[in-house]
Amino acid sequence: MDKLRYFVRQSWLLIVSSFCFGLLIAVTDAALSEKIEQNKADKLNRLTLLLLPGAKHFVPVDAQFEVGLGRGRSEKVTVYKAVGETQECVGWSFGAGGDGFSGRIELVVAVDADFGKLMGFEVLVSSETPGFGDRIKYDYYRNQFRGAPAGELKSVSTGSADKIDSEIVAITGATVSSEAVVNILNSFLGGVKNQMREEGFIGDGKGR
Amino acid sequence: MDRLSVLLMGFLSMVLVNNFVFTKFLGTCPYLGVSGRLDSALGMGLAVTFVTALSGTLTWVVDFYILTPRGLEITRYICYIVIIAGAVQLVEMYVRRFFPSLYDVFGIFLPLISTNCVILGICLFIDIWGTDNLLEVVVLSTGVGIGFTLAICIMAGIRERLIVSDVPTCFAGAPITLITAGLLAMAFMGFAGMIR
Amino acid sequence: MAKDDDRQVGVYKRALLNGLWNENPTFRMLIGMCPPLAVTTAVKPALTMGLSVIFVLVCSNIVVSLMRKLLKPHLRIIMFTLTIATFVTICDLFLRAYTPAMSEILGAYVPLIIVNCIIIFRAEACASKCGVIVSALDAIGMGGGFTIALCILAGIREVLASGRFCGLEVMPSGFVPWLAMQMPVGAFVTLGLLLGLANVLTRKKGA
Repeated sequence: MDKLRYFVRQSWLLIVSSFCFGLLIAVTDAALSEKIEQNKADKLNRLTLLLLPGAKHFVPVDAQFEVGLGRGRSEKVTVYKAVGETQECVGWSFGAGGDGFSGRIELVVAVDADFGKLMGFEVLVSSETPGFGDRIKYDYYRNQFRGAPAGELKSVSTGSADKIDSEIVAITGATVSSEAVVNILNSFLGGVKNQMREEGFIGDGKGR
Repeated sequence: MDRLSVLLMGFLSMVLVNNFVFTKFLGTCPYLGVSGRLDSALGMGLAVTFVTALSGTLTWVVDFYILTPRGLEITRYICYIVIIAGAVQLVEMYVRRFFPSLYDVFGIFLPLISTNCVILGICLFIDIWGTDNLLEVVVLSTGVGIGFTLAICIMAGIRERLIVSDVPTCFAGAPITLITAGLLAMAFMGFAGMIR
Repeated sequence: MAKDDDRQVGVYKRALLNGLWNENPTFRMLIGMCPPLAVTTAVKPALTMGLSVIFVLVCSNIVVSLMRKLLKPHLRIIMFTLTIATFVTICDLFLRAYTPAMSEILGAYVPLIIVNCIIIFRAEACASKCGVIVSALDAIGMGGGFTIALCILAGIREVLASGRFCGLEVMPSGFVPWLAMQMPVGAFVTLGLLLGLANVLTRKKGA
């Protein structure tokens, strides 16, 4: 009993203030968490709207997708259906990520309604070398992907950047970053397309 | 074999490619303060390695098994800092009791590092990277500590030489140390891209 | 009576102005050096970080000062840390809700304010010993000094690295950006040079 009293006398301030702080945090969290969630959704919407201008809003697809990344690793993917004004499907979008030259690269990828063409990508997160790998964010590199086939892409060191096909001209001095982007797109495009076909979302002209 | 190579790559990346001092600027305060002599630098580095390995693992375990499943992420920062403070106490008591010679090497630095950015930094970054494997967490945390030790020992070696060289008076001390750190950071950039 | 008032105002003024130059945390006391290197690639994140630190400093100094008579000596560090962690969590929530872009750029450096030496140092050195008003003014002064240091560093780095200041183009169009300023090298070297400059200025003042 004495020990308990000693303990309480020494640490009552700690206990009381922990309660008060906890309360303060809980109140702030309750007040702000909705806005934080809204911000996250807004950001994804804003970026995907840049890629799929005809879309009015995005509906998450009701199925679990997983993409294998080699070396036994895999990642879960949420695919969004972009719905236009007249409720028709104008395309699909999903997040893709992988390792770049220095750190992780995360992209938002958009494809057209029957998963045939790539509508482009936006870079969400990257810490590539400024002036070199950082240029994956620049239009002159990303424009090569708009309209490219949503299948096996290849990174090449020379070629015509204006010609839109499955050959992507890498950024001079940033071969690793350019190849990383192409590899990420290849793994995710292939994996998601196959699973979407299996689930019946695309293919055979049937849209869900 | 695959698993092992992933772990080895992770370890090397923490020590060289993503060295926390040179790429994330964590641990700059002790880095500037304690890197005057090689033996104290080594002691500080060892202390940091012990504590990062222990707290990185503990905070990940608590976060993975207790906080996230129950939606208590909001208390994450407070839990981390309490665990780190506790871990530092534990390490100090344990080392003082069972390895007194080791305690002589780095014991005095232990209270200083509970407010070290590196420790909280590794806990936060492990959480951001979404690691989901205990062994990987242990390897990454230890790697960060070793990376810090490497950085601080290199700096100590250079500073021992700087003391006897002809540095302009207004640059002596912290300014020249920072400039040296910048050059070291540039050198370490050469390791980027080592891991594919 | 009037002399007492004057002295009190003097104490307040000293507490406020101390942190701005004499004991500027970055340039003179060399504490809290991690944020100046990490978030100063542009002026906006630096300003956000500075204001967050001011917020946490003021709140924690006020709370610690209110509690100062009740603190047990061997528990005080953990009390400080708990207080600071609470206010940093609240600040982080506010940033994520109202400035999501800045919150993303700052990333993990917002929770790292918890271990920022400045805040614990001021709680120990000032708030646990002085009254509420003096502690609050000291916090504003220290935080202000820190923010000014961050903005100077960020201003130099942003202008040289991208030709922009706060998002506005300020350099002539022929300017080739100094990419090194965006990388860790630029951070360390610029801070080192600024510290050297601060030393020169102090020496001139002192002499």
